[in-house]
Amino acid sequence: MAEDNTTFTLPDLGEGLVEATVLEWQVAVGDRVERNAPLVEVETTKSAVVIPSPTEGRVVTLHAEENEVVPVGAPLVTFAVTVSDDAPRAGIVGKVPTEEARPARRVRLKPPTD
Amino acid sequence: MPTHEPEGRGSITVDHLPPDLTRTLYRHMRTARDLDAEAIALQRQGVFPAYVSVRGQEAAQVASAAALDPERDFVFPTYREMAAALAYGVEMVGYMATHRALWHGGLYDVMASRFGAINAVVGGPVPHAVGWAVGERLRGDDGVALAYFGDGASSEGDVHEAMNFAGVMAAPVVFFCQNNQWALSVPNHRQIAGGSVSARAEGYGMPGVLVDGNDAGAVYQATAEAVARARRGGGPTLIEALTYRVEPHSTSDDPTRYRDEADAERWRRRDPLDLLRAALIEAGHADEDALAEVDAAARERAEAIRDGVATAPEPDGSELFTHVFRETTDELIRQRRVWQEEVEL
Amino acid sequence: MTELIERAGAPAGSAPVELSMQQAINRALRVLLAEDPDTLVFGEDVGTLGGVFRVTDGLQKEFGDRRVFDTPLAESAIMGMAVGLAMNGWRPVPELQFDGFAYPAIDQIVNQVARMNYRTRGAAPMPITLRLPSFGGIQAPEHHGESLEALFAHTPGLKVAAPSDAGDAYTLLLQSVRSDDPVVFMEPKARYWDRRPVQLLEPTTPVGTSRIVRPGRHATLIAWGAMVHRCLQVAELAAEDGVDLEVLDLRWLKPIDAAGLAASVARTRRAVVVHEAPLTAGLGAEVATLVTENCFRDLAAPVQRVTGFDVPYPAGPLEPQYLPTIDRVLLAVQRTLEY
Repeated sequence: MAEDNTTFTLPDLGEGLVEATVLEWQVAVGDRVERNAPLVEVETTKSAVVIPSPTEGRVVTLHAEENEVVPVGAPLVTFAVTVSDDAPRAGIVGKVPTEEARPARRVRLKPPTD
Repeated sequence: MPTHEPEGRGSITVDHLPPDLTRTLYRHMRTARDLDAEAIALQRQGVFPAYVSVRGQEAAQVASAAALDPERDFVFPTYREMAAALAYGVEMVGYMATHRALWHGGLYDVMASRFGAINAVVGGPVPHAVGWAVGERLRGDDGVALAYFGDGASSEGDVHEAMNFAGVMAAPVVFFCQNNQWALSVPNHRQIAGGSVSARAEGYGMPGVLVDGNDAGAVYQATAEAVARARRGGGPTLIEALTYRVEPHSTSDDPTRYRDEADAERWRRRDPLDLLRAALIEAGHADEDALAEVDAAARERAEAIRDGVATAPEPDGSELFTHVFRETTDELIRQRRVWQEEVEL
Repeated sequence: MTELIERAGAPAGSAPVELSMQQAINRALRVLLAEDPDTLVFGEDVGTLGGVFRVTDGLQKEFGDRRVFDTPLAESAIMGMAVGLAMNGWRPVPELQFDGFAYPAIDQIVNQVARMNYRTRGAAPMPITLRLPSFGGIQAPEHHGESLEALFAHTPGLKVAAPSDAGDAYTLLLQSVRSDDPVVFMEPKARYWDRRPVQLLEPTTPVGTSRIVRPGRHATLIAWGAMVHRCLQVAELAAEDGVDLEVLDLRWLKPIDAAGLAASVARTRRAVVVHEAPLTAGLGAEVATLVTENCFRDLAAPVQRVTGFDVPYPAGPLEPQYLPTIDRVLLAVQRTLEY
């Protein structure tokens, strides 16, 4: 069993929110957390919410201080997670490419008339 | 112990070798010398587009090749190994065909001859020798690979890589450097840092031997020891045979542009054939009459090879396509049809 | 991973097993090592470590360090050694660790491997398969994301294969190694981890056969390696717009399946070739020419090329902008539809 670092970025907690303020951390660096354990309370323009941990693991880095404003998509917490030997492991260089469930597109096609 | 000083020593001795061997060395060297002269003539007569002379290197080539067993060893030559090929038993009309530009690699069967195809990439075939030798060990056989290369090739990365591989894998390889002191127009002191190829062996963890390349007896001895060591599992050896390219690099070269021909003349006088001839007589291995007979036979054989290669048929145009692949492709079949319809006519 | 490889020990052609491409190639190597005692696997870190992508994992343990071995770090000597081994009757399967490090071995590959059979008039065949982790898409350092297929395809005497998924990697590698001609086997690194149920099939079609991985009516997308997956993504999206795209996986980049290309494009009348390599003198030009030569009267639009740009392969964040994007392929499709 090996460990791999994974960084959780601030999600858009409402529709179209661009940032949130960290109110109170409920974990500290070094803590082991379960999935869905309370991670951090943040305040958005809509509400204050507690974000549940997206993963089981050990807290490696907290990327924001309390009362700091964090943009959506910015790093919030880095976890060290255990990965099974069966999970995809990167080679000596590079990363395992991630697969989007539904790849993004901007172009729409017009079907041919013939 | 020879040094890198270009001052030749005096006479040589073959007292340590059996008479039939030394007579054989002489016969091959004599034949190679005559064939070399015929080849230069063929170039001047317009039969060969160009030729690379081995004159002055016959002892280095013949005596090293003679230390091998053509039944179980394998030679990886460059493009200037005519005397080695002859001594090793290669079919010589097929060998000389490369110089008539009938086929780049020559027309002899490299696998049956156990003598690799003529190769114009200096240093390129040296790792092949290592691969062949590793393969020999993997199978549990006791053949030895000998790679010829020159002082110029000693600068190539492939030669370094090959020696390092051979050292790490204890491969049964003899790295045989003919240092003829000229890489086309560039002399040793502008080619070889440190001044010695053989000294590099220490860095690869193998014995390095500097030998007088014009002394057939010494070359044979050094090569035979290296071959025996490799055969019994003792790994590779680097031999540097110090000799001299008394002729131009090729028949198209003009050495007066880069060297003092007085040096070449001095080396011409230290002729390996003359040295061996004197040593044979001195050792009582042959007398003048016997050697005169050998000379005549050599002359005859060289002329036969000359006539053979001069009259050998040119390859058919269809051979352009024959050996590109073992299993040809539709596209190549199509192109062959184009050749038939638009070129052969 | 090891466990899955163990489970994959069923006879070829049996029920599907779930495998990543790494595991499928590993499985093929095991079959090849087992069936022919002359087959050798060697290269940098392929033995004890099992390869930097674990593709050769467990092989040394199973077949011993005479059949599967580490070499010193020197790409040219690895390929040169392969030549000598082939001349001594072996069937070498060397690995060069990354595409960009094939360049130091180009002399041996082009001047020696590709020509030895020709030079010796068939006396010294070169049944060498060079396994080359290739192409980009994993945000690796420089020299670890190159596409050398045009160079290899341009070299007389070489054959070139590039699988697009785990199952076909298995089949194509069996075919490549069993071939008596030298093959450059370009493994798309970005697909190494793609895991799916795989049918382990023996090769049944000749060398140089392409395959249709998605049938369609309106245009043919032509690709190889990881770009086949990209084209399948595009085809899914196009279907939402009512455009029915065919995806042709070239598989063999030399010889190219000119007949297969022609058959597809003659039906769809439009073609878009997609590759990661830079545009100019890329293999897409060859494909486009073959299609044009063979389907000129059928074509409703000029063949489009969607490729990497004519720039050195870029670093991580720029990689997704360099590689053919979904939108770029869609736009090219649109151009053929509107022509």
